[in-house]
Amino acid sequence: MKRKQPDSDEPRPVSTPKRPRTTNTTTNGSVNGQVDREKTPEGTPAKKLKSTPKKPTAETPAALKASGLKTPTHKNKAKALFSTPTKQTAAPATPSKARNADRSAKKKSARLLLEQDEDEIWDGGDRLAEEILQEDNDTAPLEPTAAPTEDGVVQSVEAGSEEPAAGDAAAPTPKRRAGRPKGAKNKRSPTPEGELPAHERYFFQNRAGPPRTSNSNLNKVNLLTHEEYFEKMAQWVDPFREEKELLLDLHCRSFPQWDFEFDQGFNICLYGYGSKRRLLQEFADWQYRQHEAVSASPSVVIVNGHTPGVSIRSIFATIVTAVLGADIPSKMGSQPQEVLELLQSSLNARGPEHPPITVLINSIDAPSLRRAANQALLARLAATPKINLLATADTPNVLLMWDLNLRDQFNFVFHDCTTFAPFDPELDVVEEVSALLGRKGQRVGGKEGVEFVLKSLPENARNLYQLLLTELLSMTDENHLSDDEMGPGEAGNGGGGSRGEEAGIEFRALYQKAAEEFIASSEMMFRTLLKEFHDHQMITSRIDASGMEILGVPLAREEMEGVLEDLVLA
Amino acid sequence: MDANLLEADVGGTLKDGFHSQGVYIYRPANHSTLLGERPTKRRKVTRTNELRAAKPHPFVALLNGKENAKSIELRYRTYQQLWNAQESKIKEILDDVDSEVLTNVLSFVRSTSPRTYDGCIPAGLVTVGSNVSSLGRLLSRLNDQLTTTREGGVIVLESGDAPNLKTTLKNIIRFGITNTEGNDGYQSFVTDREGPRVLGYDLELLADYAQRKGVKKLVLAFRDSEAFDPGILADLLSLLSSWVDRIPFTLIFGISTSVELFEGRLPRSTVALLRGRYFEIHEAKNCVDRIYGRIQAEQDGKFWLGRNITSVLFEKSSDSFQTPEAFSRTVKYAYMSHFFANSLSVLLGNDAVHTIQKDRVCESLRNLPSFRMLCENLIEEGSAERVRILLGDDAFLLEQTFQWLKLGQQKMRDIFQCVNTIYRASKHLNLSKKTSMSDLSIRALAGELQNSASYEDLLRTVKTLNSDQLQVFATMLPTTLKDRAAFKQLGAELESLLQPYQGTEPLKSGYDKQHSVVATTVVQQRVKLSKAKARLPKENIEFTNVIDRFYALLESYFEETLIRPNTLILQEIFLLDMKNPLKEVFSPRPRFAVERALSSPFDYLISSSGSAEAGISAHQPAAAILYQLYLESGSLVNIHDLWQAFYAVFESDQGDSCDERTVMALFYRALSELKALGMVKSSRKKADHVSKTAWMGL
Repeated sequence: MKRKQPDSDEPRPVSTPKRPRTTNTTTNGSVNGQVDREKTPEGTPAKKLKSTPKKPTAETPAALKASGLKTPTHKNKAKALFSTPTKQTAAPATPSKARNADRSAKKKSARLLLEQDEDEIWDGGDRLAEEILQEDNDTAPLEPTAAPTEDGVVQSVEAGSEEPAAGDAAAPTPKRRAGRPKGAKNKRSPTPEGELPAHERYFFQNRAGPPRTSNSNLNKVNLLTHEEYFEKMAQWVDPFREEKELLLDLHCRSFPQWDFEFDQGFNICLYGYGSKRRLLQEFADWQYRQHEAVSASPSVVIVNGHTPGVSIRSIFATIVTAVLGADIPSKMGSQPQEVLELLQSSLNARGPEHPPITVLINSIDAPSLRRAANQALLARLAATPKINLLATADTPNVLLMWDLNLRDQFNFVFHDCTTFAPFDPELDVVEEVSALLGRKGQRVGGKEGVEFVLKSLPENARNLYQLLLTELLSMTDENHLSDDEMGPGEAGNGGGGSRGEEAGIEFRALYQKAAEEFIASSEMMFRTLLKEFHDHQMITSRIDASGMEILGVPLAREEMEGVLEDLVLA
Repeated sequence: MDANLLEADVGGTLKDGFHSQGVYIYRPANHSTLLGERPTKRRKVTRTNELRAAKPHPFVALLNGKENAKSIELRYRTYQQLWNAQESKIKEILDDVDSEVLTNVLSFVRSTSPRTYDGCIPAGLVTVGSNVSSLGRLLSRLNDQLTTTREGGVIVLESGDAPNLKTTLKNIIRFGITNTEGNDGYQSFVTDREGPRVLGYDLELLADYAQRKGVKKLVLAFRDSEAFDPGILADLLSLLSSWVDRIPFTLIFGISTSVELFEGRLPRSTVALLRGRYFEIHEAKNCVDRIYGRIQAEQDGKFWLGRNITSVLFEKSSDSFQTPEAFSRTVKYAYMSHFFANSLSVLLGNDAVHTIQKDRVCESLRNLPSFRMLCENLIEEGSAERVRILLGDDAFLLEQTFQWLKLGQQKMRDIFQCVNTIYRASKHLNLSKKTSMSDLSIRALAGELQNSASYEDLLRTVKTLNSDQLQVFATMLPTTLKDRAAFKQLGAELESLLQPYQGTEPLKSGYDKQHSVVATTVVQQRVKLSKAKARLPKENIEFTNVIDRFYALLESYFEETLIRPNTLILQEIFLLDMKNPLKEVFSPRPRFAVERALSSPFDYLISSSGSAEAGISAHQPAAAILYQLYLESGSLVNIHDLWQAFYAVFESDQGDSCDERTVMALFYRALSELKALGMVKSSRKKADHVSKTAWMGL
């Protein structure tokens, strides 16, 4: 969706970001705008309803339809919660600016209400005006029109939710109140939720209905590559270096306490925001020096939970190595249980003069360690005498991993060790974000990468890829047309239309075409060609609901076009 | 600046060197360089070196590091003495609690065999309820018994040991053999067998072992039987039943729910293979109460847990199931924190007078809130001279301190004696209200026991006691009361009263219900009830007199004993009453911590420049900014708009100097952290949208 920049003399109220109506009429792309203005009865609202994934509650459909048809701009409410994309206005950082914006918006809306005439068509404007004024009213509880029993919060939730008709706007407040339909509460409201209690906020934000975010996407934004990310991060100077060092030093001061807790048979779990890897490193250092004088073999084993390959067995095996040193049995057993038992028996066999083994686990809640079976094994390790376990936990819900039994075995004491340190070693940032956005393919190298691979492939393969791209693009073109008709309410699928990954061609169909074009004479050959693409992550395949294999390309539409162009020209 | 640079380098090498390794044995390769480059760390190290040279215990010097080694050691020794004593008490209780079930189970195991059960496997079903740890204790003691008498052993299986039948069998065999032979014994047993080589999961191995060692009973215990896969369990049981003629199995199932549910999960054919008995282990609550009573109310107590801690302890054990072990560990932690962090706890040591650093101890004593309160009271009373001496004369203060300590400790003991008395008496007299030791203790520690219903009930009942009951009741009273002259006199009077008394019935007081007569008169067609005291024999009148005086004595005794403990002088030394280390350490709120860090980062980052400001600003860590923007969003978040908002925060602050790509890198990092924290997940609803998964404060 292309967004136009709003006029700079129309500052939008930043504090109420869910009411972008003033700009929406201009931003909404010409087709949609047209639809709105002409008030096509079969227009957006009905379609939007169809496309909503969640079934609205019993009362809502009527309410939606009634209002939706009368006020076609209503769907604009389904706009972004974060609709502050423009540089001129979007400054949530400076509240004063926001207040100014609010104020001038209020002035404008007051004027608008005064100059009220019959232009019902653009009722969005005076509705907004109403709302802006209403907001004022809400904050002033003594305002005469406001029902005295209703508190401000509830009002602000419901305020703009359901004006019966635009014509009422001449005397907005009292009539609106009288005529509010029953189901109004279930309607989406563009007003911000204000100071709701946490649970109310949850339900408010999870009401049934279409998503109410803007349709802008990241296609125009040049996403970061690994190289660029690391380059930028290397240059960046953390403004909180000193504070973080101080925080770390503060935690380091509790080392003797932790040591005492170990000594008394407790294990330790550190939680809080920030990577605790460095803290653990410091502790390992400290421990090492503590026990150095006492014994010749101070043993600290460090586990990095976020490392993909780490297995419970390898952890146990390493601890066994730490205990036994050179005389490890040649066969430790393949099951982690066996290794654990070996560990326990060898620990028992050791004399009391040896210090306990300290095991430091970075991120015990890392995905690879998170499984219940793994936690049970770790708990057994923790319950072993002469093993001191210090684990760090990063996620907020870490406690849910352990039931009563495990907690008992772990015997943890917990300390809040918020470090604010970045999770650089733990997370592959660019990878994570790409996965989060579903743009994983782009990190392979995007268009350039695909073209590079294609160059090294035989003619046949290039032709097949060209065919695939052509098919996909023609399919998305069709989609696109209908998409525009459907409007933003359809964005659930429409967004997919502009994304190669979403659109796909059925395996059989592609094979048919390929055979027709003499690219592949047999299915075997066809598959061989596809495998090459698979290996380079140039195509995606998924099984759809009916069990058919759907092939796609992990590229954005523009990139697909680019690749196709180059292929044809080559 | 140099040091900073070097430090950054060190961080870099750490990261590079160990980033890729999943698990490794730590060796500080750059040990010497570390020391050379970091002045702060070096200081710490040298200090700990000194300490270690002096003594091998983990306590550190308090009082700004000026505490001397002797005092530290005394603190540590005192902790150890006190706690060891308590720990052995706890162990006694735990052993005692289980002993009945243990003997039952043991006799069950010994007496049954497949032969007595028509070829069925003998099975003991033990319901543990919330008391999950008790089964482990029971089994290990059972194992000890069986192995010492060479009858056999116990194989404990947990659900984690049984992912599939093969592994389960392998584990059973291995556990069974290593139990007596050890790991090496198992290896040699498997390899050095005659005849064809058998695989690790062949029960032939175990049969062979049982035959060779003359094992009579092999107990196979399923600790958390509900967590086992029913399919595997059914297969396993049918297999075991076919071996039961060669291997003397007895099964024990630990059941947390109910026997019916357990049976319902198994196929009938499997259930038909088992026959056995049902045992019940008592709930943890009872046990916890007993432990608490032992720890606090013993007569040799020196150190007590205050009201807040007690309520934290019991809140925890009643809100969430908690094992007695976990309970006692929490108590242990309270002891630990007191002696680890309170320098004055040294005064509880046996030989404190000679070891302490007098000047420092006196200085800290004078800073105690309870000492200050005492001084203020003294001044109000007009004895300013005494205050002056207390403040000026160290020797006098110390002398006083030890007296106060003794006095305070005695008062604490008395309080708990009262609690004990009330508890036992209400139990003995079958007072309707069920009170637990913990409730009474909490009230007593808060100084509110006199207002409690159980206390009033008790006093009311005391009046109605007859002479026999009174004598029993008198034995339950605290020793300090019994030693009083008034009490002794009363006893003598009672004795002299009872001596000549010839009646078969015990003497009753005038407050007894039997002695009040209800007269019914009909006045103007209305029934009128009037109560009147029956005429009492002379002995009874005298007895009533005794009861009255006894009542008064008891009441005044309780009145003066049940004071609020935290009004005692020097209570900081022998009473620990802080909620916090305990609550935070054992009931952490990691989610709250993360949310707090992200929503108000300056709670943690103590800013030197004082730039802490409310609201979103570029002067916050990137993740915190993003999190706060995220909080404002709905359940679906448009990443593009989020990014724009994020960028706007920086742009508005930094103006033209703001590098968009750097900000984007920060945005990436913050977003990936939010994802790792489980706050967002990718959404298929719309392009470039993520869905929100965490609501702050929920």
